[in-house]
Amino acid sequence: MTWALVVRSLVRHPVRTLLVIAGIAVAAALLLDMVMLAGGMERSFSRMLLSRGYQIRLSPKGTLPFDSEAMIPAITPILEDLRDDPDIEQVGPVLATSLHVSVGDSLLTVVGYGVDPAAQGLYELESGTDLAPGDSTGLVVSEPAAAAAGWRLGDTVRLQGRLDPQSARAAVERVVVVRGVVRFLYDARGQRSVGADFRLVQSLGRQPDVDPASMVMVKVRADDRVDAVAERIAAAHRTVEVNSVAALVVQFRSRLVYFQQLSLILATISLVVGVLLVGTILTITVSERIGEFAVLRGIGVRRARIVRLVMAEGAVLTGVGAIGGVVLGLVTARYLDAILTSFPGLPAAISFFVPERTAIARAAIAVFVAGVAASGYPAWLAARAPIAETLRADAE
Amino acid sequence: MSPFGVLALLSWLLPTAPTFQQLPGIAIERRLADRHGLSVGDTVLLTPKPDRPAARYLVEAVYQPKADPATALRGEYQIRFHLPELARLLDAPDRVDRIAVRGRPGVPPDSTAFRLNQPAFGYRAYPSELIAAESSRTFAVVSRFHRAIGVISIVASAVFLLCIMLLKVEERRLDAAVMRLIGISRATVFRAFVLEATFVAAVGSVLGVGLAAVAGALTNWVYRRRFETSLVFSHLSVEIVAFGVGLSLLLGVAVGALAARRLVTARPLALWRRAG
Repeated sequence: MTWALVVRSLVRHPVRTLLVIAGIAVAAALLLDMVMLAGGMERSFSRMLLSRGYQIRLSPKGTLPFDSEAMIPAITPILEDLRDDPDIEQVGPVLATSLHVSVGDSLLTVVGYGVDPAAQGLYELESGTDLAPGDSTGLVVSEPAAAAAGWRLGDTVRLQGRLDPQSARAAVERVVVVRGVVRFLYDARGQRSVGADFRLVQSLGRQPDVDPASMVMVKVRADDRVDAVAERIAAAHRTVEVNSVAALVVQFRSRLVYFQQLSLILATISLVVGVLLVGTILTITVSERIGEFAVLRGIGVRRARIVRLVMAEGAVLTGVGAIGGVVLGLVTARYLDAILTSFPGLPAAISFFVPERTAIARAAIAVFVAGVAASGYPAWLAARAPIAETLRADAE
Repeated sequence: MSPFGVLALLSWLLPTAPTFQQLPGIAIERRLADRHGLSVGDTVLLTPKPDRPAARYLVEAVYQPKADPATALRGEYQIRFHLPELARLLDAPDRVDRIAVRGRPGVPPDSTAFRLNQPAFGYRAYPSELIAAESSRTFAVVSRFHRAIGVISIVASAVFLLCIMLLKVEERRLDAAVMRLIGISRATVFRAFVLEATFVAAVGSVLGVGLAAVAGALTNWVYRRRFETSLVFSHLSVEIVAFGVGLSLLLGVAVGALAARRLVTARPLALWRRAG
């Protein structure tokens, strides 16, 4: 009977009911977007860093990976030491530098990554073949680089390094063959990048005599040993910065504190709007139907049942609104994500709004609970209406 | 580097005992001075890398940098050097990152940049406007995001306003029935309810502007303290106020008119019965 009364009451004012549901849906959509924004960046960043299973990064002291042009000098003894560690499964050095290729009568500048093909965590193969260990004449290229230079699989490319700023002539040149097209995991959208053997890129880059690396990626055999291994590496190599992925996520979080605070503020506002909407509408509705509740009480319906009746009405409104809000929230999240991921230089793999079941459930439950709680006051008003006075006033 | 080099410290900084020998001078920004208790006349040891020997410098000035949204949120500290001193510290003599060029009055920057780029090796000339446009791309993205959030908020508040106004006018069914029964014309009843809706929307708008001003002031206070800057994070401009007030008045009047129309087109006795 309760649910039949609830449905009848809501259907009696279809415009009002639809407007309330629409209002709750928009508030729930905003809340869901903000819940996704608050945790999505971190999850997306962490997922990107762990996508190839490397849990630790070594970078030049005082910097984060790829955060500056600084390099770690004398990398070979560090690599040998890391490879001797029984807890470490793989060690992947990376050197990033500017390289140049002649395209027609102009010079195309690309980001060149030097990697160890046996242990690389920098890219995923999309077509062609990967670099084989020890392959010093192979090249893998990103889609934007291939498109800009007009490269195809099997093409021969002359990579030029250390361009003289006065004469625009390269100090060193190496001939390589395009083996595959890859997706570089940390590249910005549209970034032109190529990957080749670590030593080959070292010979093309600046200061090859100092044996440089931009970063070293370390894969630890057991996840529960990551922190211990990171501490051990940091203690043994004081000239490098050692960060686990968890530590990098903390650094990343501190840089994006603005978005977290914004999401907290807007999520709170959307919840308040939802509560106000449900509370106001139900309070007015209860005032209109106060005579009806007095009659119900007069024929013996208990107060608890009146409370349940009004709260069920609130639950139906917020429940339907929350469902609509989830759908609306997912649509708007895609639009908002497209805006934020157009930040210049942001890796293409980063997403600000990550639709996860927990986030969706959390937002929907929050709206539902807030809406039901907001119907508490009108429910109390309906239940405490004095029967005789209300009926007399209603009759007059 | 500009006439005074700017170095974002990646390493360490230690105040040391004052010395009387002639030391190269530096200017440090106020936040850094406050953080480390430094003042004019102190000497500090600076090094560009932890494994390089440190050099001693004399704090000659403490300055307040111009608020810059591009750097303020990073929280990095800055020190200004005389250019040769920074070149010596970095072991990079005869090298600069940037050169600022001021053209003669009346010469378009575009044509100067074009002419400089013709024989250029090792540098590229850009008009300042282009650099400003490029460096503000991040803020353009943030601005687009804020606008999108603003649209969602406007939709939410519009629906909220619609609900409230609809209920507010429907509450007046009995009044409308009485007015109609005593002979007041439909047009007068309609105008009365629209006027009432306009008044409610106007009062709500004024309160909303007040609330926005308080929220904006709170936002500025919190973020200025958080990032130790004088930047304005929330700016309530006349245009924004006009847009917000205009939109809420428009919605209020439109919804009031819609609801009033429903009241005046219904038969007075029917209204009386429904109100009862």
